[in-house]
Amino acid sequence: MSESSPAIPNRPACGPRIAQFLRTYYIYFVLLLVVAVLSMANLDRFDLFERGNFLNPNNIINILRVSAPLLTLAGAFTLLMVSGYIDLSVGSAMGLSAVVYALLAINGVPFLPAFAMTIMVGAMLGAINALLVVRLRITPVIATLITLSLFKGLALLLVEDGVSAIKSGGGRSMPAWFNDYGREGVLLGLPMAFWVAVLVTIALIVAQSRTLLGKYAAATGGNPTAAKLSGINTGGIVALLYVIVGITAALAGIARSSFMSLGDPLSGDGMELTAILVVLLGGTAFSGGEGKVLRSFVGALIIMALTVGMLTLVPAYYQTLVLGTALLAAAASNHLVSRKETAS
Amino acid sequence: MTTSRKTVETLSNDRRMSDETFITLLVASAAVGVFVLASAVVPNFFQPLNMLNLVTNNWAVISLGIGVTFLLVSGNFDLSVGGNVALAGVLAVWLAQSADGAHALSTGFGLPTTLAILLALCGALAIGGLNAFFVVRLRVPSIIVTLGTMMLARGIARVITQGSQRNTNLPDDFGVLGNLTLFDTAVKLPVVLMAALLVVAIVVEKKTVFGRLTYLIGANPVAARLSGVDKARHVTYLYLFSAAIAGAVGILLASEFKSGFSNRGMLMEFDALVISLLGGVAIAGGFGSVVGMVFGALILAVVTSAATGLVLSPDWQFILKAVAVFCAVTTQTWALARRHR
Amino acid sequence: MAKPRDAVSGSTKGIGVNGHPPTPALSVEGLTKDYPGVRAVDNVSFSIARNTVHCLVGENGAGKSTLVKMLTGALRPTSGTMTVRGAAYAPGSPHDARQGGIATLFQELHVVDQLTVQENLTLGMERSRFGFLVKSDLDRRAVQTLAAIEPSIDPTMRVSALSVAQKQIVEIARAASSGASVIIMDEPTAALSEREVERLFAVIRRLRETDVTVIYISHKLDEIFALGDAVTVLRDGRHIATKSLSDVAGQPELIEMMIGRSVFQTYVPRPSVTDEAVLTAQGLTNHRLKSVSFHINRGEIVGFYGLVGSGKTEIARALFGADTVSGSIRFKGKPVERSPKAAIRSGIALVPEERRTQGLFTSLTLRPNISVMNTRRLSTHGMLRSADERAVAAEYVHKLRIATNSIEKYAEKLSGGNQQKVVIAKCLFADADLLLLDEPTRGVDVGAKTEIYDIIRELADKGRSVAVFSSELEEVLGLCDRIFLLFAGTLEAEIVNGPDVDVSHILHVVTGSGRSVAP
Repeated sequence: MSESSPAIPNRPACGPRIAQFLRTYYIYFVLLLVVAVLSMANLDRFDLFERGNFLNPNNIINILRVSAPLLTLAGAFTLLMVSGYIDLSVGSAMGLSAVVYALLAINGVPFLPAFAMTIMVGAMLGAINALLVVRLRITPVIATLITLSLFKGLALLLVEDGVSAIKSGGGRSMPAWFNDYGREGVLLGLPMAFWVAVLVTIALIVAQSRTLLGKYAAATGGNPTAAKLSGINTGGIVALLYVIVGITAALAGIARSSFMSLGDPLSGDGMELTAILVVLLGGTAFSGGEGKVLRSFVGALIIMALTVGMLTLVPAYYQTLVLGTALLAAAASNHLVSRKETAS
Repeated sequence: MTTSRKTVETLSNDRRMSDETFITLLVASAAVGVFVLASAVVPNFFQPLNMLNLVTNNWAVISLGIGVTFLLVSGNFDLSVGGNVALAGVLAVWLAQSADGAHALSTGFGLPTTLAILLALCGALAIGGLNAFFVVRLRVPSIIVTLGTMMLARGIARVITQGSQRNTNLPDDFGVLGNLTLFDTAVKLPVVLMAALLVVAIVVEKKTVFGRLTYLIGANPVAARLSGVDKARHVTYLYLFSAAIAGAVGILLASEFKSGFSNRGMLMEFDALVISLLGGVAIAGGFGSVVGMVFGALILAVVTSAATGLVLSPDWQFILKAVAVFCAVTTQTWALARRHR
Repeated sequence: MAKPRDAVSGSTKGIGVNGHPPTPALSVEGLTKDYPGVRAVDNVSFSIARNTVHCLVGENGAGKSTLVKMLTGALRPTSGTMTVRGAAYAPGSPHDARQGGIATLFQELHVVDQLTVQENLTLGMERSRFGFLVKSDLDRRAVQTLAAIEPSIDPTMRVSALSVAQKQIVEIARAASSGASVIIMDEPTAALSEREVERLFAVIRRLRETDVTVIYISHKLDEIFALGDAVTVLRDGRHIATKSLSDVAGQPELIEMMIGRSVFQTYVPRPSVTDEAVLTAQGLTNHRLKSVSFHINRGEIVGFYGLVGSGKTEIARALFGADTVSGSIRFKGKPVERSPKAAIRSGIALVPEERRTQGLFTSLTLRPNISVMNTRRLSTHGMLRSADERAVAAEYVHKLRIATNSIEKYAEKLSGGNQQKVVIAKCLFADADLLLLDEPTRGVDVGAKTEIYDIIRELADKGRSVAVFSSELEEVLGLCDRIFLLFAGTLEAEIVNGPDVDVSHILHVVTGSGRSVAP
């Protein structure tokens, strides 16, 4: 902070400080708790992946590889919710990007151009959301439900009839490099997709704390009238955030598609729910203004550890129940925290 | 004195068209428009049976649309109905399955069908109660709550069915309700129930205090409270009713197919929302009607079946829905602005 | 009391260094604002000297808020010009006004709770390179400004942790460091405690030393004498005087300028007044009220008179069960259940303060608006009898002369006065024995005002009781049989209305002059 900061006579009292500490760091405790419980639980069943227990490096690498799409998405989604808006179309945008990327690859476009083109598609999808919400003033929920349906329809149409996804077969085959991005370890055994997620998150953490975008997003969500009176172009900020969310949805689609080595139009289904869950778990207020990119990233790690870790303990069909319960629990705890804040 | 009596009489006989009627008429003419267009363009579209099917095939979504419309008018979402359809169906089957099955998925509780159905309805109501608790007491935005309960309900259904379905070892009377045909026609009981429900809903909406309160709460919750309306109680009722309808739909579907399928009702919450929006319900609350919702359902049915008739791939339905909702939302804003100019 | 500075530009004492009168901080010339049927501000001209605290006073409806809205760019004047430090000034929006050097402290705070103090200080004025925030002089200046006027606020703290008074000071520091030469403060002490008021005054005095001119709007006359250098008085939209406060003899003179007449609409004692108490309140206490006790008699019109923030609205809402309050309320001899629904059932109705957000269903038509409080009377077994409902709506439209050609007209399409009549109609139809009216004629044209007064009197004459909560003295003096004077949440005095009511005594009580405020 500035060196001219004067002495600080009125620090908040001790009680609020503990509450503040808990609010800031509880998410890390939750992560530790989840990891601890999973690593103590029924060890032999982890041979689903590799022999060994939950903390086995191979298992961790596996979890992080699968988590790449959600980790990529969580940060941008957080900033959008901080500004008081929501995007229900991320799952469809992800599916559409996955299909586009796979189509480009299967038709002989090399990695980098295919990558870049898919990202541009993602940016465009975000721009469509921005157009509906900012320019046409359609309520965010409805606008992004419209695009949810639209993107999903487009993705399904891009896959020819009788096939469920873009994949090798029928005389065409996926290029050999297609898997590398999502699976092949490049550093610490982790693939590009994971490191891109980390880079995106770092970029967004910096953006949130050091750029106009982060500050204006908080102002737009916290007190829209004050933001407008201060001359902030709130519409522009929101539009930019929708585009960024679109780009990260495309990155997530690429990661998922590369991991599964196919372009599945439904591969992002339900992603909007998981994204909301992760962001709420990270302590972002649904009323806007509040929330941290890093905490949502950790929230995403928790959810992925839970869902993948759970697979080893209980059958896969428990997943929906666990996610639904977690979403309600996150919403309830969020409510309790925010009420405490207004009460003090 | 006579003149003043006259003024009062003239005023009270005033029945000018409300914005709602205006929008409903607009939606109705749009429905007729797409129907005529589809009949002209699509081969073999114009057949009596086809027209009847437009409604009867959609009985489930239209029924769900009633609860969803009432909630939207009061200013709240209900996205849990699809999950609730699955939950109630699965519960009913599970409870009715006899207790001596060969393996887990064919073993239930062997309760009498009636009791199984009643308990399944209670399960659906519990989801509705949970919605109400989170929305009314904890004041969590309804969209987030009902997304959560949607997953919760479907999640329970998936656990009960181990991710697939239960369809064996059911008593014979379990399949009666959903397949009962009436008056020696092809019209099934669920369709008749939907029609009855619609009539009741329209009466409640237009003619009762309960319907009026729904609009008042949606139009201005603060003024409603200061006018003596118990908002918490009313919204709780609405969520319970919506859940009850969803439960009934789920049970009827389970009975029709004699199976409890955990993926049943997928996207039904979405379709129910879509037909309400097509029917002119405003998500800001305080505006919309059940009749409009029915016409919205007709528009959607005509458009999707016309698309099938034109041999478009079924994948087109998502794009068509998106375009239809977009047109509905923007046209409504524009039409009301013009009307009030 | 500090000696007011030489504050009226153009006065003989106001000679600048070079012998010319210094450029005024702000001057307005022939400023006029017309609304349909009303001239809210009528040809107002005055100027404000630099580095002074200039007070703006006048009764409700005198045109203060319209004038301020023009200064802040929220409204455009019908005619007339404004000048800031010699340069023409015509803001099109509050943001324009800030660019033009005029910042405003509105009653609702415009800080972002979720950001830190420092981030708020520079909001919208940050320097950036490629979108990255860059520390600039402004950051340092803003923090220094804040440290200078209120060193106890830590700039790294989140604003949500500050009190209302501290948030205000953050806003002031932001305005001052952004280079505003004029800061307008609209009733800044309404939500502050006495100690916080003293703090704020110290801040304002320090601001004056730093080449900032403050336009201070307040009803509290002792504050004006404690703080101000000069005062401008408005009355009925017209400019009455601009004077150095050292030339004003005292509060009586100021009050006389504000009221301009000693004759009010004459109060006629009404025979319906009984001494049979219908409502008794004992020791009402909550976040705003301090042990308020009173009773209201059958057939009586009582007035609760006080300034903004004196607790009027809180009393009304407490009686109606809309807010929590401790203490006892007995209505018709029985304790009342505390909810609006129960209040209406037991015979209390409220016309709330904010007509559009609290009283009306603007997106619905008149018919449901009028019937809402008493749907029981219009229904059998939960079914509405629509013919009866239409008849009732028509009857009230006719009886209250609501200007509409249809009961199916949307409430938002009516004028303010007619909207207010709809809200009153709603409460009349509730058939209440006690009608509470909070600011019943705010934003209502003169014609409708008289009609609303007639309705109130007629109601009381029929043996119902009415409580009027108002910040317009003329209203309570013309209407009420008994008047309770409120100041800062306490009931200070009770006055029986009559020809010999001492107006300046009332103003003394409600402005808190009897008490000691900031030195």
